[in-house]
Amino acid sequence: MDEKLRIMVVDDEKIVRESLYHWFKREGHSAETAASGLEALEKLERAPFDVLFVDIKMPKMDGLEVLRRVKEGYPDTIVIIITAYGSVESAVEAMKFGAHDYLLKPFKPDQLALVIEKTVSQVKLTSRYRYVKGLLDKITRFDNIIGQSPPMRELFEVIPEVAQSDSSILITGETGTGKELVAKAIHAKSPRSKGPFIAINCGALPDTLLESELFGHQKGAFTGADRARKGFLEVVSGGTLFLDEIGEISPKMQVDLLRVLEEKKIIRIGEREPIEVDFRLIASTRRDLPTAISDGDFREDFFYRINVITLQIAPLRKRKEDIPLLAKHFLNKYSRETTKHVDRITPEAEGFLKRYDWPGNVRELENAIERAVVLSKKRTLGVENFSCLNAPTAPQNGARTLKEREKEYVQEILMENDWNVTRSAQILGINRVTLHKMIKRYRLQRGQ
Amino acid sequence: MPDSIGPEKGCIVVLPIGKVPESALDAVSDSISLYFNHHTRILSPLRTPQCAFDEQRRQYNAATIIRTLESINFEDDAKVVAIVNVDLFIPIFTHVMGEAQEGGKFALVSMYRLMKGGVGNRPSTSKILKRLAKVALHELGHLFDVVHCADEKCIMHFAGNIQDIDHIMLNFCTYCERYLEESMKRHLKPTSLCSHHPELT
Repeated sequence: MDEKLRIMVVDDEKIVRESLYHWFKREGHSAETAASGLEALEKLERAPFDVLFVDIKMPKMDGLEVLRRVKEGYPDTIVIIITAYGSVESAVEAMKFGAHDYLLKPFKPDQLALVIEKTVSQVKLTSRYRYVKGLLDKITRFDNIIGQSPPMRELFEVIPEVAQSDSSILITGETGTGKELVAKAIHAKSPRSKGPFIAINCGALPDTLLESELFGHQKGAFTGADRARKGFLEVVSGGTLFLDEIGEISPKMQVDLLRVLEEKKIIRIGEREPIEVDFRLIASTRRDLPTAISDGDFREDFFYRINVITLQIAPLRKRKEDIPLLAKHFLNKYSRETTKHVDRITPEAEGFLKRYDWPGNVRELENAIERAVVLSKKRTLGVENFSCLNAPTAPQNGARTLKEREKEYVQEILMENDWNVTRSAQILGINRVTLHKMIKRYRLQRGQ
Repeated sequence: MPDSIGPEKGCIVVLPIGKVPESALDAVSDSISLYFNHHTRILSPLRTPQCAFDEQRRQYNAATIIRTLESINFEDDAKVVAIVNVDLFIPIFTHVMGEAQEGGKFALVSMYRLMKGGVGNRPSTSKILKRLAKVALHELGHLFDVVHCADEKCIMHFAGNIQDIDHIMLNFCTYCERYLEESMKRHLKPTSLCSHHPELT
């Protein structure tokens, strides 16, 4: 046997614990003991185990209860029931509750060896299953963008298509929705993927600095320009330029960029000779640019120039079915990075995460999971680990009617329950017929 | 195997408990000398501790016998391999053919089940002695912290029944041998010369 297991022996009898402990250690497994069901659950909460050998007769919490709780909280953990000849019925019952096998005390040493051999095969199968599941999970990912909701699937389909053209793209979406990730994915799938990808946050740079960063300058062009420097529009040649927060640039810069996009030429600051440039522009904004145009804050001609293709990224609150997937992804990421054994979220906490509005979107979710993993002392994240999210959710824009609120809430509950009408109706405190009527009245659809 | 270590480093002693044939003691002692390359000595027999007898199971509790041995002064000896001819058990198992303290001092080997053959046949004496040597060396391996081995032929491979014992070889695999070599260096600290045990004579 080349697979080593992490085993816990749960028995109130010291002699049994010790005998099995030594036997497993001799077999080269990692072994641990617990004198009660409660102690076992506490240890299981702190570290993962492949298999638990649980005595069925124990005071306070019996083996069946331990089995039930283990199967509920840690379904991958294998439970083998140890029982005396007198209580075979309980062992059979335990099998119905998900026990992997049972051993009648006292058992032959080779019987135990056989059970262990079977368990090793099971663990191998499970890890193979996890591997395949991991491959399947990757299907719900697109160049690190995660989601299985209809808007995200649509996005995954569109990205390879738009990547092939050289047209300018405008990515719209709230802060933290992953606009830069989408831009990177487009670049990676495009014929320009071997060229550079340069991202500039326009909102973070004052106008003069942005101009010099983009266009470059000649030595002595302005105070402090002690040497000539190529601008990003030149450096990015052959690649993709991502201008984040394009809605923040000044009208003058809009004119300058419009000219570059039309003529494919730039003039460095302080120079006269134009230089040819070759890049693809992807811009992003969280602003409502048509409104900015009507307010006179944004040039219409520039808008149409950068907005040949528009990709809209839905905020997280509009694609709540992606939350568990994202949460699991970030949990794995930070569990690995922090080397802490935090590998699950309670259903209550998952529900809480799905109810929260996430004004900061995926970025806020990632930060919340990272914080929770770092501070958690248990393997499982509960609602209490997300207490920092208890602040009131972001106010909605504009006045909301009661009907709008009702529609949104019904939709939310349906999505949380995977459109299970019976369960959703129970949660809403109405009967199924009423819920069906509401779905019809509000024209609610799965994936809306 | 390590270089021969003299008696001044502490002996590995073979202790008969109850009536154990001399040939069995010699077989175990010779095997230890050969495979562990260490000084061994056969002690005078000890009475089978009756406190270890379980009326219900009609067997002797191996853990209780080991506890009895712990109460006797074996200070000068490195390891003690006790041989019994009664059937042994530990509470969780129906029977055990041997028992040892992981990295400890005492190992216990039972001849009882080794004397059984196929279908009602009694195996030859040489076969019984070979089995006994295998179990004794296996348990002694545990005293030096060697765990069960995946190699089905290695003496440290788990043998749950008599067929398994016959299947394994009277030899350590390369990895167990290497581990044993290192472990013996750690375990066998220099002690005074082997002496008699007044409690046992």
